[in-house]
Amino acid sequence: MEKKVIKKDALAGIVKKLAGQMPVYAPVQDQDNVLFKILEQGMEPMLDFGNTRNAPKNCFFPQAETMLKYFRTERGRELAGVVEGAPEAVLFGVRPCDARSFILLDYVFDDPKYKDTYYMERRRKTAIVTLACVHPPSTTCFCTSVGGHPMSSEGADIVLADLGDRYLAESLTDKGAAILKKFGDLANADDAALAKKKELSEKSEKEIKSIIPGNDIKPWLDANFDNPFWDTIHKSCLACGTCTYLCPTCHCFDITDEVKRDGGRRIRSWDSCMSWLFTQETSGHNPRTSQKERWRQRLLHKFRYFVDNYHAIACVGCGRCVQYCPVNIDIRKIVTDISKL
Amino acid sequence: MSIEKRLQEKAVELLSEKKVDVVVGYEAGTLPYQAAPCFIENPDDEGRLVLNPFCSVNLAKYVHDILMAHKASQKRMKPEQRTKKVVGVVARGCTTRSLVIHLQERQYERDQIFIIGVPCRGYVSKKKLAAAAGGKEITACAIINDRLSFTTPDGTKEIPLESVLAESCLSCRYNNPVISDVMVGDPAPPMKPDSEYADVDAFEAMSGEERWNYFAEEMKKCIRCYACRNTCPSCYCKVCFVEQSQPRWVGVSVDESDTQAFQIMRLFHMAGRCVDCGSCVDVCPMGVDLRKFLKKLDKDGYNLFAHRAGEKMEQQPPLSVHSMDDKDEFIYEP
Repeated sequence: MEKKVIKKDALAGIVKKLAGQMPVYAPVQDQDNVLFKILEQGMEPMLDFGNTRNAPKNCFFPQAETMLKYFRTERGRELAGVVEGAPEAVLFGVRPCDARSFILLDYVFDDPKYKDTYYMERRRKTAIVTLACVHPPSTTCFCTSVGGHPMSSEGADIVLADLGDRYLAESLTDKGAAILKKFGDLANADDAALAKKKELSEKSEKEIKSIIPGNDIKPWLDANFDNPFWDTIHKSCLACGTCTYLCPTCHCFDITDEVKRDGGRRIRSWDSCMSWLFTQETSGHNPRTSQKERWRQRLLHKFRYFVDNYHAIACVGCGRCVQYCPVNIDIRKIVTDISKL
Repeated sequence: MSIEKRLQEKAVELLSEKKVDVVVGYEAGTLPYQAAPCFIENPDDEGRLVLNPFCSVNLAKYVHDILMAHKASQKRMKPEQRTKKVVGVVARGCTTRSLVIHLQERQYERDQIFIIGVPCRGYVSKKKLAAAAGGKEITACAIINDRLSFTTPDGTKEIPLESVLAESCLSCRYNNPVISDVMVGDPAPPMKPDSEYADVDAFEAMSGEERWNYFAEEMKKCIRCYACRNTCPSCYCKVCFVEQSQPRWVGVSVDESDTQAFQIMRLFHMAGRCVDCGSCVDVCPMGVDLRKFLKKLDKDGYNLFAHRAGEKMEQQPPLSVHSMDDKDEFIYEP
């Protein structure tokens, strides 16, 4: 595929120009937070940031979406689907960990047996432009412990690497190549640029100091559903949804009907295993009776069930849950503690 | 002896003498600017207890949780098998006020809690600290007297501790416990309560439209994770109205009006019950300014009923009592 170089000061202009042609999601400063938003006139895409507060999963898997609408008419019940064709779009400035999350989400939403048309439509039409981490943005990054890499191109259609004086842009898919063409006339990458990227890649990997035994705890998790250890991690948990809502890989959802007079809509919205409503049954019974069971579910889903189903850990090591948990429940510590049991 | 050491000794004493079943306190966190709530049941674990300006979350919430869970666990037991649980809690001013509210609202009995009062000079607002660091990651953080030094990839910087204290703390009126069973440490010097409504006064001076726009803009940030509600000691409804489904009061989607409805209802439920501990602001992952609205209710509570939430055991919350000399002009002159 194509390998090009972009002048350092030209990239923001290229992204803004692209945003004039198609929807471009990019990291923007929104008061105190850096968030993925659709770039509009006058908005500046951020190129120098740690990582966004919210994960980009929202672009394909929104917090709430209408699946179908229904009406009561004189002819009886009528249904209206709402699957709209998504426009071609670009998701720009995704960190490699977050780009990798889409591969994991694809396992779920693009399963050979179950295709999620809502997710797939947007996913297929959107090109992902990764901004590789030449320095890990944070000491809470642990991507290398869960199968990722700070300069990884996994999940990306185009990967950009900041070489200091210029960006190296590599397209990895046809979708990426088409978008790279829209970037304008760019010089081909020379060998020096490729060598520099390799050097930065090795350096960046070494800079990740947060190492957890993510791959080693599966046998323990398989055998210890009732271990007293599960009594120890949830006590301070507020049962808020911060960790699951900011997580790039959490994908549990709920389906609710909202009825008003003679019509209604069916909504799919994010669920959170931290909420007491999670797996609450119509009868009022909930097999997960306390925060203990909910926390066990969170851990087991990420490090056991997902591994059983898709041979991958459902965590990309972005560190958002570590940084933003209001009461500092640190998944790195939990995994490390489990590995010592 | 440091206050931390005295606190640890007190915990050992209470646990060994079986005066309490658990001590709720703070322990060092995994990030340099965080302390986490902890639960000490074994006297040997007392070394985990810390007390510093990174201890932010109001612990009264956990006291309520533990006692409610215990109450539920006793329900199906024969009366003679039932046990009493006593929770010890490390409590500064705002925490004790929340405990007072629980007691006034008959959530548990006074002898079910043991209040280890501690003085407070304010806690560090994570948001202010992040802003001081220019959004860069803080890799080390230390407090020496009234200075805070932090290290980012750009180097180490020292700033006055006061510049990063939470807004609630800067104008706190009750930074020393209002009730306690034992006091550890000497009372802290007063903060600056005279300025507590400065923000509200400025907000009130705005036009109705400006105020609504401010509210609507703030609510757009909300992701409905409910961290604010869940950390709030006064938010203890068994089932919050937002989660009720028969009928459903608030939609599940991210419609702006649903988010606004949730926040408005929660705010009004706080009338006369908010101690301005700042926990809801501190835990919000999106930085929503909830305090301005809560403080307005607090100001009204004081101006209309001379009431400050959780100040005294004898003074019931204004919306829970009726008195013949309650002001009532507003009924006739809205």
